[in-house]
Parts: sequence; C-alpha cells; structure tokens
Amino acid sequence: MAARTQRWMPWLIGVWTAAITLFIYLPSICGLLASLTQSRYFNFPITKWGLVWWGKTFASLEVRALLETSITIALIVTAIAVVIAFFGAIAFARFDWKGRSAFQKLVLLPIFFPQSVLGLALLLWFNALGIETSWKTAIFAHLVWVVPVVTLVISIQVYSFDPALEEAAFDLGATRWQVLREVTLPVLWPGLFSGALFAFLLSWGNFPLSLFTTGADTTVPEYMYAKMVAGYTPGVPVLGTVSTVGAAILLLGGYGLILLVRRGRTGAA
Amino acid sequence: MAMAAERVGRSLAGWLWRPGQRHAIPILLLLLIGFAAPLLSILGFSFAPPRTFSLWQLPTLENYRTIVAETFYQSFLWSLGMAVVTVVILVLICYPVAYGLARTFGRWANLVTLLMVLPLFVSENVRLYGWVLFFIKGGVLLGSLKSLLGIDVESVLFTPGIIIFGMVYVYLPFMLFPMTLGVSMVPREVTEAASDLGASRLQVFREVELPLAMPGIVIGCLLTFVLAIGAIAEAKVLGGQTVIPVTHDIEIAFTYAQNWPLGAALAVLMTLLVGGLVLAVLRRFDLDRILGRR
Amino acid sequence: MTASDHAPFLELKAVTKQFGGLTAVDSIDLEVGEGEFFTIVGPSGSGKTTLLRMLAGMETPSSGDILLKGQRINDLPANQRPTCMVFQSLALFPHRTVGQNIEFSLKIRGVAPAERRVRALQLMRQLRLPEDYYGKSVTKCSGGERQRVALARALAYDPQILFFDEPLSAIDYKLRKTLEKELKDIHRETGKTFMYITHSLEEAMVMSDRIGVMRAGRLVQVGTPDQIYTTPKDKFVSEFMGEVNVIDVRLGTNGRVVSDMPGGSFAAPSLPAGFERGHLVIRPEFMRFLRRAEEAENSLVGRIYNEYALGSRIQYQVRVGTHVFVVERLRQQSFAGQLDAEVLIGWDARDSILVRD
Repeated sequence: MAARTQRWMPWLIGVWTAAITLFIYLPSICGLLASLTQSRYFNFPITKWGLVWWGKTFASLEVRALLETSITIALIVTAIAVVIAFFGAIAFARFDWKGRSAFQKLVLLPIFFPQSVLGLALLLWFNALGIETSWKTAIFAHLVWVVPVVTLVISIQVYSFDPALEEAAFDLGATRWQVLREVTLPVLWPGLFSGALFAFLLSWGNFPLSLFTTGADTTVPEYMYAKMVAGYTPGVPVLGTVSTVGAAILLLGGYGLILLVRRGRTGAA
Repeated sequence: MAMAAERVGRSLAGWLWRPGQRHAIPILLLLLIGFAAPLLSILGFSFAPPRTFSLWQLPTLENYRTIVAETFYQSFLWSLGMAVVTVVILVLICYPVAYGLARTFGRWANLVTLLMVLPLFVSENVRLYGWVLFFIKGGVLLGSLKSLLGIDVESVLFTPGIIIFGMVYVYLPFMLFPMTLGVSMVPREVTEAASDLGASRLQVFREVELPLAMPGIVIGCLLTFVLAIGAIAEAKVLGGQTVIPVTHDIEIAFTYAQNWPLGAALAVLMTLLVGGLVLAVLRRFDLDRILGRR
Repeated sequence: MTASDHAPFLELKAVTKQFGGLTAVDSIDLEVGEGEFFTIVGPSGSGKTTLLRMLAGMETPSSGDILLKGQRINDLPANQRPTCMVFQSLALFPHRTVGQNIEFSLKIRGVAPAERRVRALQLMRQLRLPEDYYGKSVTKCSGGERQRVALARALAYDPQILFFDEPLSAIDYKLRKTLEKELKDIHRETGKTFMYITHSLEEAMVMSDRIGVMRAGRLVQVGTPDQIYTTPKDKFVSEFMGEVNVIDVRLGTNGRVVSDMPGGSFAAPSLPAGFERGHLVIRPEFMRFLRRAEEAENSLVGRIYNEYALGSRIQYQVRVGTHVFVVERLRQQSFAGQLDAEVLIGWDARDSILVRD
C-alpha cells in the first residue's frame, strides 16, 4: 500500500495506542501520587509530599500479617496449580480423545464465571460441608479459578510441542520418567513458567474469591477494600502501588528471563 | 450380574486410563468438587424456603416467584444493558490497537502487549480506586482544575456513566487480545490482492479485513460480554449505590438481607443466562484452530 | 508523432530498492514491449519478487523511475495502477465463492450483478472452469482450479500488465506442465503483457518471449530463450541452465585455450576481443563418446563413474583427473560403455562457448 494517504495511518494508530496506554496507567499514577502525601486525607494538588506512609505501612504489624497471608496463599496456589494445569494442558491440547472438545469448553467455563458469585457459591458449599473458612479454604477457592487459566496458558505451549520429540526419546531407550525430565519439561518450561507467574499474580491480586472464603483471615486486597470504603489512609495507595510495581517486576523479569534462555538455547544450537 | 458390572467397571477404568483421559483427571476432579458441586448447592439453595440456611429442606419455588414479582428484573436489565454498551465501546476503541499489534508495530508489539497485559494482574479494586482518586472531589482531576484554573465542577463519580467507564477500563484487555488474534489471521497477501484489484482502503476493510477478522472479534465480544455481566466492582467502587447490577443484588441477598435462597435463585438465573450464551457461541468455534494446533 | 509514441510500453530506469543497509534491487534498466511475455529468472534472494512488487505498486523504489507508456508511475498506489498480480499464495478470498472472487474488481467498480456474472462465466469458460463452480467456495477447489480462479480474477480487472509471482512453484510436475501451456495459450488469446518470475529456467523457456536473468539484485542478461541458452554471458548464467560442463581456461596459442587438465589445450570457438582468462562451457548434449580421438576436435580420456537413466536421455558422469564431465546421450543411441570403463569423450569447438567470469 504505497499511497500517500496510507502513510499517516500507522502514525495515527501509534498515537491512539499511546493514548490508550496512558488511559490504562493513569489510575496507577494517581495511586502513586496519593501515596506520597504526608497528610491522612487525599487532596490534590498535594501540599506536603513525603514517604511517611510508606514507612508506616511496612512497619505495621497488621500489614505484615496481611502480606504473609497473601503470599503464602499465592505460593501454595502456584505450586498446586502448575501441577494440575500441566496435566490438564496435555489433555487439552493433545491426544485426539473423545470428549476433548467438551473438556476444553468445560475447563474454560470457570474463567468466565462471575467470581463474586463463585465465591458465594463456595462459601455456601463449605458451609454445607461444615468446613470453616480460613486461608486454607481460600487456597482451594483460588485454585478453582486459577487452574483453568494456567491450563490455557500451558496448552498454548503444548500446541506447538511436537509429540515426535517424545517418541524419538522413547525410541532411543528413555523411560517415561526420563522422557518427562529430559524432553517434555525442558521444552515446555516457558509455558510452565508463564503459567506459574500467572497463578501467583492472579492469586495475589484476587479479591472476590478471597472476600468470601478467607473467613477470619485477611488478604491484602480485602484489607484495601475495607479501607477504601471506610477509614481511608494513604496506606491503601501504598499497597496498591506495591502491587502494581511488584506485578510489573515479576512479569517483565519473567518475560526477560524467558527471552534470555531462548536466546541462549538458539545460540548454543 | 456381578460379572457384567465388573466387566463394565474394568472397561470404564481402561477407558479412563487412556492418555488423554487420564491427564484430564486432576483438573476434572478439582472442577467437580470446586466448581460443579458449589454450583449445584446454589441450585439446591435456590429451591429452599426464603431466609433459611440449610440445604436439606423441602423444595419450593418461592424465591423465583419473588424475583419475578419484585423489581429484581431491573438489576438484570442494568447488568445486560451496561454489558452491551461496554462491548460496543470496546469494539470501537480496541480495533485500531489490535490492528497495530497485528500489523504495524513489528518489534514493538511484544512490549505493547506486555503493557496491556500487566494491569490484569493487579487487583481490580486497586485499579478502580485509582480512578476514584482521579475523579473524586479534591482528587487529581478536580483538584488540579480548581487550583490551576479555578474551575469548580461536580464529580463525575456515582453516575451510571462512570460505571461503564470503569467497565471499559477493566475489560479492555479481554477485547483486545482476541481481536488481535483475529486481525493477525488475515493473510497479508489477501489484503494486497484486494487493493491490487482496485479496492480503496475502506473497501479493503469492509470486504476483506473485517470478515476475515470476525472470529477474533466475535470471541472478544463474547468474552467481554460474559465478564461484564459478572461485573460488580465497578458499580460498587465507582458508582456507589446509583446502579445495582444483578451481581450486587446477589451479594446483598447473601449478606445484608440474610436471604441465601433468594441470592441463590438470582445466581441460578444469571448463570443460565450467561452459560447458555457461552455454550451457544462456543459451539460454533474450533478452539484448536484458533489457538494454533498443528 | 510525439516522443511518447516511441516510448517503450514499460520502462525501468535505474530502479533500485534498499531495505536498511541491504540493496535488494540494484539499479535495473529494462524495457518491456506491449503484449510481451517477459520472465525474470533468478535464484532465491536475487530480488526478483521485490522488483515485481515495485512494478505492481506494493513497494516504492528507493530511487529510479518506472514508466508506463512514458508516464512515471512510481507513486501510483496498487489500486490505481492498471496492473494486476497473481500471488505465489494466490491470495484468493477464502470467505468468498469462485464467482465472488472473480467478480471482485467489477464489484468494486460498481458493475451491476447481472453484468458481473456474465463476465465471470465468460472468464470461467475461457479458463476451463466448469460453470457450476460459480457458487463453489474457493477453499474446496483443487490446486489447479485455484490457479485458474486467481488468473480469472486478475483478468476480470482487465489490466494492461499481469504480474505472476512464481505461481507454479508449489505444484506437482504434471499439473505444472499443463498449466504452463495453458498460461501460454491465455497469453496469446488475451494479447496482454505478462511479466512472470520463476526460479526455474525450464519453465521460463517454455513460456517466454524474452527472459531476464537476475542475480543479487542486478539484471545479468536479457534475451530470448534461445539467446540465453546458446550464448550465456557469464558463468552464472550458463550454470543456471542446469548441468553444464565448465572448464577454467586461459588464452593459449593459435586461437586455442589452455587449461590445467591432462591433454589440456583445446580448440575454441571464436575468441572474444581481449580474452585472457575465463571458462569454456560445453553442454552435456554436445559431449559425446568417441571411438577414436580424431572423431572430434577436442577429446579427453576419462572413466565412467556414474550412470543415470533420465527418461529419454541417459546421463553419464565421467571422471577426467579431478574434473567430472557430464555426458548425455539419447536412449536409442547405442553405446557399449559400462561403469568404471575407460572412455574417450569429446566435443567440437563450435559446440562450446567461451564466457567470462
């Protein structure tokens, strides 16, 4: 398309995308600004700047307990989710088995389901079973939503995995376990790694499911919501900024890591 | 009799142990216990007498009658309406970006994708609260307007408009990525051929690009619509109590109103609506081809 | 008579295309006559596709001029150029039927449906597509049928030049041969200018009026198929024709040339002026087995070390010292040689060509 009129289009698209990106990050910027005030209430423009609330938040025992709860839940969810999703992804993307198509749709269903309703349903269910809600039940709740997402992520990697690689390894005398260790996992690991990242971040940031299933325990998002509604302190945007920046570091770091390893592999090959 | 049962059992076990099936077992178990069962219990609860808390009672249709008789249909309509508006706005906003990601950005596409994906991992409440800080009286927007230009305006918060704004904000990636996938599936040479055969830019778009990108666009719309119907945070955080979508009604029923069966009935109706839609549209799509099976 | 009356139909003047630091097309000068079937031949990466895309309007030259009937068309976009391209992938609209594909350019111009249909059916008949294919989805057509639809679609546009980007490269031999002949027939019937690119010289020779050989972005030689075949300009072009025998030679005495081969002084065809070193090129079909050295002007002793039956011809690889010669004979010619036997091969000077590097 060499027409003169065609030349401004990529530029226009670029500008539009930049505007959208700004739109997406504006709240985070506002959050960051709101965390840098010294006063207890938020009034813009900020007259007294300072890192006071950052210090207060991290020194707070209450916040420390929250962080511990959130991180523990997220780590355990990640570990379990990756394992279950690994097998699920293989079932999702390979082996033309009868019912695979129905399986795919079934697995995707929880992702689209309104989380608040799912949270309530799980609360009801725990109640009916006589199980008391705590951070442990929250883990289970998170898994129900997180595992399908991670399954999807890993299946994308499985789709481009050539089964002939495993067959070749088998043919060369490897046991099933060795095939898994030497061929399957190394080739799939970018997918597994991405899946793990997703699992951690989705669990860490989850609110609707946590709200109904953590019982007496509290996660960071729950705490923040409570404070948003009543008892606002700049500690809320502090935690918000920490979440955002933390997610950014994890994602960019993870993506960078995958790129490095991939480049290293093709370099060596 | 016992022999036949044993044979059936063995062949069932054999079928289950085939590679595809057995890999599916862990996740299916999880979904059975964690998804299907709770939903079934909600279904059960929806038939329980109002304001009771036990599942094991005689069934009644009282809750459904209440929903129809009272004004609960309003919240359904609000949820549906807001979801539709959100989808329409997102289609218009996202197409240029999807086109850029699939065609124009080249090496930058990955970076832009990453930037767009990142917010998904931050809690909804956090992000929406950023908008509260922006739009609230004395917040970033109004505070700047007042101090710099002396303009004192009412806050846009707590209106239906801002709720839709919030929904567009939250669900943007879910429209963007399927759409990008759709646009990327339009072979470049086919658009060149259309141009070569005399079509203007607009005609190329209408005759070739749009029809061929349609599967991606439809999936984006479906995904966004389904998620938007389940939206609750936007209405609560940005909208206050101006609009009560059906999800909020369900929550209220479970918490303040202490009427679990009613909440359950509302949830059942909502699930039927959403689930029916998802299955109807997904049935027409071959997920393998879209996700890239070789 | 104005100047444009004498202007060639399509003219390229120093057309160049650079992508960053890479020069894909390097200052090409070319004239193509109206109604000609001109083929550009070259190996992959020689720039032929880039050149074609510039002519079709999908790329803009970095420098140089493209002139159609004396008018500069560099900045004319593809949808305004009176040209049409048949892509390598055919680029048929997968969501449309055969009829809708063919009629596309007419629909764009606002031609009425009834009229479009008449024209489409007419083209389908001309390209030997059954009439009931009109409503058939293109995704259900075979490779050869899709080729015809792509061609019909381009012809419906009624372009002045038709470009072909290696359309037959992914097709099996038999179908390719059929389509080559059909393309040639269509060319004759429509009288339009065809510009074709391919990496197969054989294909080019069957269909073209003239051929241009491209290498690393430059046009190395332009001529009729016969000219290219019998008088290649250099070693690259001559090797492009397929298996040839090439001997490195330098100027000898008495109009002969000398090489580092045992028995290495050869009678040569007429020496180009100022010839010092170069290559002697002999085609396999001009090499023959001799019973006595006197039967040919040049002869060498060698050993047969491979034999290939290629249908109507039989090809031999004969080792002479470290050099391998390819000798061909027709199957019906008698020959009593066997593998590893010592043989005498030879050729006449007039059947060889001297080329520079």
